[in-house]
This record gives sequence, C-alpha cells and structure tokens, in this order.
Amino acid sequence: MEPFEKDELSDAELDHILRSWSAPAAPARIRAAVFPASSTPWWKRFLTMSIPVPLPVAFCLAFLIAAGVWRWTRPVAPVAPQVLVKTQRVEVPVVQDRVVTKYVYRNAPVAQSAVHSVGFDELRPVAELRPRIIRNGNAKN
Amino acid sequence: MRAKVKIEDAFDRYHEAVFDFAYRLTRSSDLAEDITQECFLALVRAPQRFDPERGTLRAYLFAIVRNLALKNYRDQRPAEPTESHELELSADPRPVLEISSAVGDAVAELPHLQQEALILFQYEGLALEEIAQVLGTDVGTVKSRLHRARERLRRELAPYRNVGGIHGTV
Repeated sequence: MEPFEKDELSDAELDHILRSWSAPAAPARIRAAVFPASSTPWWKRFLTMSIPVPLPVAFCLAFLIAAGVWRWTRPVAPVAPQVLVKTQRVEVPVVQDRVVTKYVYRNAPVAQSAVHSVGFDELRPVAELRPRIIRNGNAKN
Repeated sequence: MRAKVKIEDAFDRYHEAVFDFAYRLTRSSDLAEDITQECFLALVRAPQRFDPERGTLRAYLFAIVRNLALKNYRDQRPAEPTESHELELSADPRPVLEISSAVGDAVAELPHLQQEALILFQYEGLALEEIAQVLGTDVGTVKSRLHRARERLRRELAPYRNVGGIHGTV
C-alpha cells in the first residue's frame, strides 16, 4: 500500500484542486432563445411568422385554391337557350255517353250467372225449324 | 412590461451562474445550454411562481436547474451510485495532464446529493441557507453532505496533489 495513494488532501489543497475544474462560458445564443422577440421589430416578426398547419389540411387548402384558380381562369362557354317547362292544369268537359242504372232488390234471390247456370244437359233439339230470311236493307222484315 | 424587464435583468445577472451549475451537474455544454434556456423560459412563462419570501431568485433558478438536471440524470443513468461507491482511478494518475477533467470525473462520481451540494457551495458560492433552499432540505443535512463529499474527494484526489503544482511540479 503506497503512502502516496493513502494521503488525504488538506482543505487548502482540496480547494486548490477543485478550482482547477473549469466550466465553459454560457453561449450568447441562449439570450436569443429565451427572448426571441426583444430585438426584432414587430413588422419583421409579422412578415416572418409561421403557422404550423397539418399536412392533410395543407393539401386540402392547396387543392381548393388550385380549383378556384382553374375555375376563375377557364374561358366562359356560350350559354345555351334555356327551355322553360311549365306545367298547367286544364279542366276539360267530358260528355257523358250513357247512364246505366241497375236496381238491386234486397230480398230477391241471388241470380246466378247464365253461363254458369246453363249446362249441356239442358240443351234440346227444336221440334220445328222455321227459318226466317231477312233481306238486306229491309228494316221491316 | 415591467416584469419582462426584471426577467431580462435576472437573465443578465444569473445566466452565467445557471449555465455553470447546469454544466457541472451534467458535464455537457449542449445539455447545460438546454437546461439554462428551459430554466429562464420557465421564469418567463410563470414569473408568479417565484416567491421572494421563500428564498432568493438565484436559489429559485438553481432549484429549477437542479430539477431539470435530475430529470436528465434519471433518464441517462440506470442506477444511483451508493454512498460506499469508490472512484476507480488509475494506478498512477499523474500522467493525466488534464486535471480539470480528473476533478470533474471525481465530482461526477460522487453520489448525486453530495455532488449538487458540493457544486453549489464550492463553485457557485451559495451560502448554506441558500443551498438548503435549492435542495429543499435543512442546513444540517447540507453540512453533512458537504462534509462527506469533501472527505471523499480528499482521498480520491490525493494522487493529484503535486499535479496541480501545489507543493511542487509533476
């Protein structure tokens, strides 16, 4: 064990050695970082100010501006004549052709349709055939 | 407007000391610059947090630096060195020409609580009461930490006795 390593420093020696640890000076740019607006006029700050905008919003704004510019600068097409369609209701008189009156009796037996009531069994050959000739144009015969 | 002028005055008065304290705690100029900037930005943003009745403005600023450095210290270092941890120096440290770096290493190897008390006392020139305000403790604890730090440095830096030209030459 070497006495050189086991020795302890006195207060004065320790203070002297501790003072040999130097630190660098503070950079001057810290002031500009802490007080950025103090040395810049307001109009310069206004001209150089920036606003953070999300990328999707920026793309949408750029697209809208481009669409607006395109629409504003494109040549105006000739306007086609407008066709005005107007719907109007007109009342038209209708001539009544004929009136069909049907009487229905409340207590009468329900009449069956002739088509359904007549069958082939009821058909009988006539006893005497009497043909009758009706000439064309003779309304009385 | 008046408060802003006061903050600028405080910056002009204390930013060197704040940077020095931050550098000695972190041993990094970039980190010390960031911490100094954050320290004064905190004062700019919320100057009402400083209460003159609780301590001096210098102690308040150093407390901010300490908190920021402590946060960085916890992020960077995995474990706090124990009180019994001994600095491992080379067998013959005298060839180390940069004694400043050796002292920085020795101080950095101190337990963190001793380290900040020693830096505030030795390098920033704070009184014991101010150190107690910065560290949030009492004067007796500060004295104890200082005593242990210096005792340890007496041993650790003893091999450098002659390197600094105290009693002779290298």
